[in-house]
Amino acid sequence: MANEPGPATPLSPAVFAILLSLAEGERSWPSTNGTRRWGGKHGYLIMKDAMAARGGGVRLGPGTLYGSLDRMMRDGMVEESGLSDDERRRYYRLTNLGNSTLAVELERLDAAITSARSLGLLPQGGRS
Amino acid sequence: MMPSDRSANRIEAFYAKALRLYPPPFREAYAPAMRQTFHDALQDRQRPIRDLASLILRDLVISLAKEHLVMLRDSFFRPALLFNALVLAALATGLALALNTIPQQVLRLGADDPQIAIATDLVAVFQSGGIQEMLRQGALPFLVGGPGNVDMAHSLAPFVIVYDDQGHILASQAVLEGKAPTPPPGVFDYVRIHAEDRFSWQPRRDVRIAAVMQRVNGPQSGFVVAGRNMREVEARESLVGKLAGLTWIGMMAVILVGTVVFGWYTKPKSA
Repeated sequence: MANEPGPATPLSPAVFAILLSLAEGERSWPSTNGTRRWGGKHGYLIMKDAMAARGGGVRLGPGTLYGSLDRMMRDGMVEESGLSDDERRRYYRLTNLGNSTLAVELERLDAAITSARSLGLLPQGGRS
Repeated sequence: MMPSDRSANRIEAFYAKALRLYPPPFREAYAPAMRQTFHDALQDRQRPIRDLASLILRDLVISLAKEHLVMLRDSFFRPALLFNALVLAALATGLALALNTIPQQVLRLGADDPQIAIATDLVAVFQSGGIQEMLRQGALPFLVGGPGNVDMAHSLAPFVIVYDDQGHILASQAVLEGKAPTPPPGVFDYVRIHAEDRFSWQPRRDVRIAAVMQRVNGPQSGFVVAGRNMREVEARESLVGKLAGLTWIGMMAVILVGTVVFGWYTKPKSA
């Protein structure tokens, strides 16, 4: 995984949940599409992903979501894809920096989980 | 429970009004998308309306506060703006310190003036005819009063105390608690070398005297101390300090208001 310097970790729960949601969408984009890039996710889809257990169970409202997206765009972690199926709906996707920031955060969390396991704070072989 | 179309429209209208509370740049950029997201959430039949309402209310409170703080930070915490404000604040502080210190020094130095004149005249008299002889001839009457009539603790009148070469009192116009006090020995030592010392003398914790001691040379050497209670001068110094403090607070208020107004009108478009 790339470890280029990005915004400081640990990330806030909202930023982490947004990165995770967009990364999940990008990963599930079929590779058969060739050079065409993934069109991104709109606000409510990101909200739903964040609230789901796999997204960290983070309860994001529209204010927190778009405030976080605004700052993440300024930091270069996400971008608007330009896709539009409704004039009010805006779609977002990860940039390379967003991908690497998420990777760094996941490695940090993974190291913490491994450490917790070795200390017996988590059952061995459990999901991480 | 799903809201009816009419209720949903009402809730959406309420949310649209609440969006007006966000800072204008944020509102212009994201209000339509936020309304759409809220609309999508309302249409989601898997989500209970009560759960959505609590989420939205909490989100409104937290994100409104956060976005306004971000706007304030972007508007006012710019390096150039902060630097200007800090430079102005430093100048104002320097000016206020000068306004405090210079008049206080002038007042304090001015408090010695009568004593310098009195001591100089008296030393000239003593040096011409000897201390004991001149005291016998009544060298002190030109002063305010006779011996021992100035209460150092309460009177503002100038007074004179004459000492011999060993620092013993020969004559005194002033008393404190029934006797004439003597300055610290170090003052006599200093005046033996430098001929004069102007000092703030504190014979008692609550009594401060603007004192001038001069050396008497000639057939009978000794010392003359002319002094005056500093109570009135210190009251004026205190007034000057308060006025300088008020001036400083006023200048800081002007700088703060100016910085806020200037920051507001020159804020970045994205703030």
